[in-house]
Amino acid sequence: MDYYLSQVINGICQGSIYALMAIGYSVVVGVVGLVTFTHGEVIMLGAFAAYFAFQFFGNNLILGIIASFSASAFIGIFVYKICYERFFDAPRHISLLLTIGVSMLLKNLTQILIGPNNMPLLGVVPNKFFGIGLVGVTLVQIIVIVTVISLSLLLFLLFNKTRWGIMLRAVSQDKKAAALMGINVKVTSMLGNCIGSGLGGIAGMLLAIYYQTLIATMGGSAGIKAFSASVLGGLTDIPSAALGGLSLGIIENLGITFASASFRDIFAFIFLLLVLLIKPEGFARKRGVRP
Amino acid sequence: MERGKIRRLLVLGLLMAVSVFVAFAAGPVKTYKFGVMAPITGTNAEYGKGFQIATKMAVDEINAKGEIKIELVVKDSKGDPKESADIARQFGDDASIMAIVGDFTSSSCMAAAPIVDEAGIVLLSPTASNPNYASMSKFAFSVMGRQDGEAPFFSTYLLKKYAGAKDIGVIWVNSDWGKSSHDNLVAQAKKDGLNVVSDVNYIADEKDFSASIAKLRRGKPDHIVILDQGAVPTIINQIAQAGWNDVKITTLGPGTSQQIISLCGKNAEGLLLTTPFFFDENSKSDMAWYNTFYKAAGFYPTVHPACAYDCVYLLEAAIKNSGDKVTRESIRSNLQNYKGFSGLTGPIVFNPDGDIFRKYLIVAVENGKFVKKTNFDFAK
Repeated sequence: MDYYLSQVINGICQGSIYALMAIGYSVVVGVVGLVTFTHGEVIMLGAFAAYFAFQFFGNNLILGIIASFSASAFIGIFVYKICYERFFDAPRHISLLLTIGVSMLLKNLTQILIGPNNMPLLGVVPNKFFGIGLVGVTLVQIIVIVTVISLSLLLFLLFNKTRWGIMLRAVSQDKKAAALMGINVKVTSMLGNCIGSGLGGIAGMLLAIYYQTLIATMGGSAGIKAFSASVLGGLTDIPSAALGGLSLGIIENLGITFASASFRDIFAFIFLLLVLLIKPEGFARKRGVRP
Repeated sequence: MERGKIRRLLVLGLLMAVSVFVAFAAGPVKTYKFGVMAPITGTNAEYGKGFQIATKMAVDEINAKGEIKIELVVKDSKGDPKESADIARQFGDDASIMAIVGDFTSSSCMAAAPIVDEAGIVLLSPTASNPNYASMSKFAFSVMGRQDGEAPFFSTYLLKKYAGAKDIGVIWVNSDWGKSSHDNLVAQAKKDGLNVVSDVNYIADEKDFSASIAKLRRGKPDHIVILDQGAVPTIINQIAQAGWNDVKITTLGPGTSQQIISLCGKNAEGLLLTTPFFFDENSKSDMAWYNTFYKAAGFYPTVHPACAYDCVYLLEAAIKNSGDKVTRESIRSNLQNYKGFSGLTGPIVFNPDGDIFRKYLIVAVENGKFVKKTNFDFAK
């Protein structure tokens, strides 16, 4: 029993990171209205921003969060300008292809400038274990879960209690109506993209701290997991995307428990397929929620 | 114009004419191209970069002698067998490429083997050690040794005799190399009376080992064996992060990789591993090579780039033994039959399959450095 509990805790931690990635992805798709393939590289760049912040200024987690959010949000501006701004009325595949191109550009540029090797991220959070025998939780896992919950609450407050949040929700629902109401759709869309990217950046930092390593090619698998979790949540429904991420993490870890880590992705995608076959809108409350 | 000046110009002209005559009389130096296939990017980038630098070191030395000239064409396989197969096809179709050095993993080499067989071009891997690789084609060769040699040594000598292990947990990369190492290790471990209490695997490029480590821990092993290369530091760190401090860690695969020290820090203290080659501090030639590599690469070499260096010299020997008519087939034939080669990593004579058997050393990490262990009766 202890063993299975420990695996569930591992799943909740991994799932929390996926949830944060999925939340960021859903914010981007929901507000901008276009699917992106740059989210993986945004996550990766956020991880590197935090890495360099730790190198130069010490292992300060708050500083790491600020650095990763800011760097990824800044990249979000670049992505918005290149891939989205001029293509809202164009066929969707144009911006999709551009995001694929930008993703390759960012990944290869990072490998050239920073290098292709694994880089260590040790000691940001002390190795402490709270528990008995197999059952327990590490300090890293506590910090990951607390950070994701805090950010989710902050996002909830932003979207529901602030004027900017109302504008973001309005743009995500109907851009033309929002424009008629006097909302600057371009600026609001860009802001939404930056917030989503910034959250992805923080998820990247948490990934790097949890894995204790980072590498320029880490964005590929992270991006696919973010997309999958977001699809489970109906693509634009933020709470459902978080639930999608969490369940993906738990399912993966339980799959490893009963089989092996070689089947990690098989369990994740079988789960995704089953959910969508039974409920095509995923965990979202409304059917036909379109980006 | 003064007479002295005219005389000097005439002498200079005469000297130049003689030089040109001598050069043409001796014949131009022939140039041969080798393809180099390695994971310059990805999880195993350290080893790919090592290949790139070590092969260049060998080529620079050979070209400086002036007998033949070698050019390298380097391509990044990214550690992906699909890429390796594609690169092998490109090299095979290019008639100017006489032989290929690479790839790093057994999976990549095994993916490329049918292609080089069809193209009739040597694929000389510095590091592929799956026993089934070299027998896939008469053009497939490897100098690292075989996992049906190293894995049994690891079980009998490192785990049982040196470390005194009783219960072992094995975590291994699910690849051609990993499966071969695992199967050979577990088979020998059972013969040696070791209990394999937990056994987990993962696919390449995995980053999150928390679930696998929990599964390993469930069996309560006294020693863990990690079978992989690039992911070894990540696994060691995540074991420490999980608060599992009372287990001894051993690894087969990464050799004396500097990344283990730089990525793991004190988490790597006490790590035990095997390697077929270790740079001898008392050997001037070893240390000269070691330091030259470090200056070029920025990190210290393992056995892997040392093998890549030997591969280039092996091909040079095969070309020289081919005489006037150097073809891909003559290189293959001379490589297979060459006796008496002794390189940086020791003597290399290919068995009929195209690979070799090696002897192994036990190395430990002590105070942030790799130390060869010799204080036991089976060290020699």
